[in-house]
Amino acid sequence: MTDLCVSGCTVAFGGLKAINDLTLTIPSGAITGLIGPNGSGKSTFCNMVSGQIPPSGGRVRLGEKDITGWRSDQAVAAGLARTYQVPRVPKELTIGEVIGVPFRYARSSRELPRQMSTTADLARFCGLAPALDTACADLSISDLRRLEIARALACKPRVLLLDEAMAGLSLEDTAQVIELVREVHAAGITIVVIEHVMRIIATLCQHAVVLNNGRLLSQGTPEVVLRDPAVREAYLGKGFGP
Amino acid sequence: MSARYSLLTYIAVAVGLGAIALAGNAFLIQAAIGVAISAILALSWDILSRTGQVSLGQSAFFGIGAYGSGLLTPQFGVVLGWVAGILLCAVAAILIGLVTLRLRRLYFTIATLSFGLSMQVLILVTPGITGGSTGIMPPVLMGGSPPAQLLLITGFLVVAAIVSDIFLSDRFRPAFFMIRSNPALAASSGVPVVATKIMAFAVSGMVAGVAGACYGGLYGYVIPEDVFTPNWSILPLAVSILGGMDTTLGPILGALVLRFLEEIARHYVGGVGYQVVYGAVIILFIVILPRGLVGGLRQLLRKLARRDAVPARSRSEAKA
Repeated sequence: MTDLCVSGCTVAFGGLKAINDLTLTIPSGAITGLIGPNGSGKSTFCNMVSGQIPPSGGRVRLGEKDITGWRSDQAVAAGLARTYQVPRVPKELTIGEVIGVPFRYARSSRELPRQMSTTADLARFCGLAPALDTACADLSISDLRRLEIARALACKPRVLLLDEAMAGLSLEDTAQVIELVREVHAAGITIVVIEHVMRIIATLCQHAVVLNNGRLLSQGTPEVVLRDPAVREAYLGKGFGP
Repeated sequence: MSARYSLLTYIAVAVGLGAIALAGNAFLIQAAIGVAISAILALSWDILSRTGQVSLGQSAFFGIGAYGSGLLTPQFGVVLGWVAGILLCAVAAILIGLVTLRLRRLYFTIATLSFGLSMQVLILVTPGITGGSTGIMPPVLMGGSPPAQLLLITGFLVVAAIVSDIFLSDRFRPAFFMIRSNPALAASSGVPVVATKIMAFAVSGMVAGVAGACYGGLYGYVIPEDVFTPNWSILPLAVSILGGMDTTLGPILGALVLRFLEEIARHYVGGVGYQVVYGAVIILFIVILPRGLVGGLRQLLRKLARRDAVPARSRSEAKA
């Protein structure tokens, strides 16, 4: 069973193929780690499946639906939500207003578990301490990341893409966000984590996918993938393998 | 802004302008009509600007409203003629929006500017339908009675204020602001960005069309230069920025203060020079109050509230 599946997809920026004839499947109900060196195509993958950049070839499927070339809001309606690496929320809006937007607009047919069913519930579930009427301008980076996860969850997704949701957080905050991701997963949502820190992938994910130069380099359990000589070479260069 | 403040704004507008209409001072009535029409036009501009689209083409909708209602009223009667004229604005906005709202901000602004300028040419080259440069003679509003005209236009202003408040409600405000500051985030939150922008543009066009229809019906005579002048595109921008963007009160207050400044400058400076002084005063206002009069007032109220709150807390602490 797969929730998200891309086959033969290519995204080119001028002469550079950021995604190059990529075929991969994200297993249903798992936490999958998407890793790769800088410029390997992780973020482009995220932008492609979430509808921001249409692939020039190939298909993107979400469950039974072919969502190739769909707009972001249509992908959200189909059940795919994403967070952004740099959360640029409108400063003049409050926490409650930001979470309220997908609650009003996302046309996903899925329902969230009771502990996430309202704006206040979601904020509490994601560990947002400030009150709902706090302006986003006054939030810390850690709260902005939690808000970003809460906003994405309010889209009621079946698949959630987390684009470096833990980057720039303290060790303590990272541990809390890891715990949060586990709870989201326990609520029945398939998760794709884009992450640079291998330790997080190793502790959090059941499945790992490695991209390099826009192609699939390796996939499998994190233990297997992180030991793969090809992966070590892609990260560290030739001669650093075991 | 809470519902109570909105209601207070509607009542203040209705009572203030209504009182002027009933008092019967001819000069004040004409000034109030001008203020009300500017306020409606400024609200139309502000509604659109909340989605991040800066229009320099409101004069096109102003003119289409004036011409549409003026030309269609003899055919369909006042009510249907106005409705059709204003719907024409929505159709124009949707067509222009379909082409231009995919463009990035500045390109959209330039597109609206050229739309505004080209409308006047369109009128000039179609004298058979639109009267060309000689203009048209729309039916005069309310039998030409200025107090009755003011009352009618006040009614339209209240309607425009209600429309503006609907777009400041929880249903639209957060989505509009998100489209303005980060359209990708809005789309990833399920908001159909282009459709929402086109909808805002159509509503904005219709509200501007109402202002134009009111203006066209004042004297029973309209020439293209009257309604398609770029002044009607610049005015709503200046009024909204002066009064305070993203609010309903701002454009209304801005229209009032701008007219007041204009009259004072005309009285004390006179000639053509008054326009320079008046322009300088507007710039000064914008420099001192970047968030407009309403933003400045809010800041002042917040400061006063804080000054009241601090001693109260220290007093309770002293007791404890």
